Amino acid sequence: MIEAHELTKRYGEKTAVDTLSFTIAPGTVTGFLGPNGAGKSTTMRLIMGLDRPTSGTVTVNGKPYGQHRSPLREVGALLDAKAVHPGRSARSHLRTMAATHNIKTSRVSEVIEMTGLAGAATKRVGGFSLGMSQRLGIAAALLGDPRTLILDEPVNGLDPEGVQWVRQLVRDLAAEGRTVFLSSHLMSEMSQTANQLLVIGRGHIIAAGSVQQVIDSVASGAVRVRSPRSGELAAALATDGVTITSPEAGMLEVGGITAEHIGEVAFRNGLPLYELSPRRASLEEAYMFLTQDAVEYRSEPTTAHSTTDQKGQNR
Amino acid sequence: MSTLTDDPPMTSPATNPLAAAQVHPTFAGVLRGEWIKLLSLRSTWWALASTAAVITLVALASAMSLSATTDDPALAQGIEQMHGAEVIAGGFHFGMLTIAVLGALLITGEYATGTIRSTFAAVPSRIPVLGAKALVLIVLTAAVTLVSATLSYVVTMLQLSQYDLVPALDDPGTWRVVGGTLYSLIAAALFSLGIGTLLRSTAASVTVALTVLLLLPGTLSFIRLDWVETIVSYLPLPASSALLTTGAAETQGAYLSTQASLIVMAAYAIVPLAAAAVTLHRRDA
Repeated sequence: MIEAHELTKRYGEKTAVDTLSFTIAPGTVTGFLGPNGAGKSTTMRLIMGLDRPTSGTVTVNGKPYGQHRSPLREVGALLDAKAVHPGRSARSHLRTMAATHNIKTSRVSEVIEMTGLAGAATKRVGGFSLGMSQRLGIAAALLGDPRTLILDEPVNGLDPEGVQWVRQLVRDLAAEGRTVFLSSHLMSEMSQTANQLLVIGRGHIIAAGSVQQVIDSVASGAVRVRSPRSGELAAALATDGVTITSPEAGMLEVGGITAEHIGEVAFRNGLPLYELSPRRASLEEAYMFLTQDAVEYRSEPTTAHSTTDQKGQNR
Repeated sequence: MSTLTDDPPMTSPATNPLAAAQVHPTFAGVLRGEWIKLLSLRSTWWALASTAAVITLVALASAMSLSATTDDPALAQGIEQMHGAEVIAGGFHFGMLTIAVLGALLITGEYATGTIRSTFAAVPSRIPVLGAKALVLIVLTAAVTLVSATLSYVVTMLQLSQYDLVPALDDPGTWRVVGGTLYSLIAAALFSLGIGTLLRSTAASVTVALTVLLLLPGTLSFIRLDWVETIVSYLPLPASSALLTTGAAETQGAYLSTQASLIVMAAYAIVPLAAAAVTLHRRDA
């Protein structure tokens, strides 16, 4: 469980995170989406107590991270896979972390096995590929067998097998009742991995809820219509706010109007329809739409203050 | 919220190998972590080995140059008052160089690579990390100083014996010089660690530390102003000189009394570290 309340972080003039309020629930994989510079990494550092918020609070499992008696048991984090001394071996890196918490060396071997690093554990990290570094970062996050996992772009640089593995791992961890909070810029990956989403842009929350809710919150995609008399249908549909394109003869892509409405118009005008299919926006499209100009959403009801309420309404 | 929570079964603590109550940070654990951290880097071994090598070689060189001193009638009588331990400690300045770099790297290396985030995530209170680093540094500096002193003693024995200068191991003067060297090197190492923690950048920290420790006394010695000379006498190198001589030589050219030297060197070690400890908690990692 991660709870942020009006979390704000300014670096000099720049506001990286602006009054974010959200709750990440246990038992779920929550995806954290946003374009570069949206404030994802800053938010994660604030959760981990590495940076101090300018104002607001954030707690993990009920307490600020630093106040837990056994921090690594509470939260495991992968913030930057490359943030390991290149001269140290993977095993030594994990052993230094384990030592602080009096975690037994057998647990170090365990996470090395779990993450498939056994063959490279004694090699210096400087020679690791990004994918190997990600595995090491995940091993470090798992070290304390934490109740909450925070993973910043964990699938970056992983091969398809690795991506598959991370996907299954985070689902399994969530199924065990843990809180999993991961960021990614790969939308398709999110749609397959996460069941909840938190979308931010320029430090503000612009959408939150289940993957489906986020997609639905975006103005629905176009409706595809096929008719032998498409020209007449287009003329009949052409009103304010309706966009009509014709990708091929006899087919129309109609936006700004529901499929039901199109059906009624066609019926009233006696026009036959061969196909009438609402095209669901993909997560990718929803994301692009949501983040195309994050600023414009500042005054929308989906801003940070109302996220919790919005989630409430969505139940 | 309820949609997000399905109250799934938590992992049973009984089956969890890590659920034991002892899995949490302790100072001993942090200390062990820092120890593994330091010894798992080749650069540490390089710094320690080169410190020992340089100190020993300079001691050897100054022992060998004794013959030049005795050949010069103007200097010949100086050798009468010389203590063999001072010859052995002759490489001390150069040891300061590598020890200071090691002290700074201990923390700036973490900032440069980003490891500091893992470190502070594991120990959110942060101060124990600095304390553990200081302790590890003291132990390593002490070890390398004693090894260097032993090596220097052995390699200079032949030369020193010609002038009857081989330091006697039952002579308190010998141990005074060894202790002074140890004290000063530890102070220099901790000074660098403090500066490194404050500045975070390796280049800036090493530059500042080496300038204050080694460069300034020589540079400022060209300025013959009373107040500048006073400042120089409180810089680490001149300030430590009283600690590197036997009691007899204290009156000849040492800038500060033994007691003042001990206090000044301790201040160099403690002040930057204390400042670093105060700011460490407040600053973003």
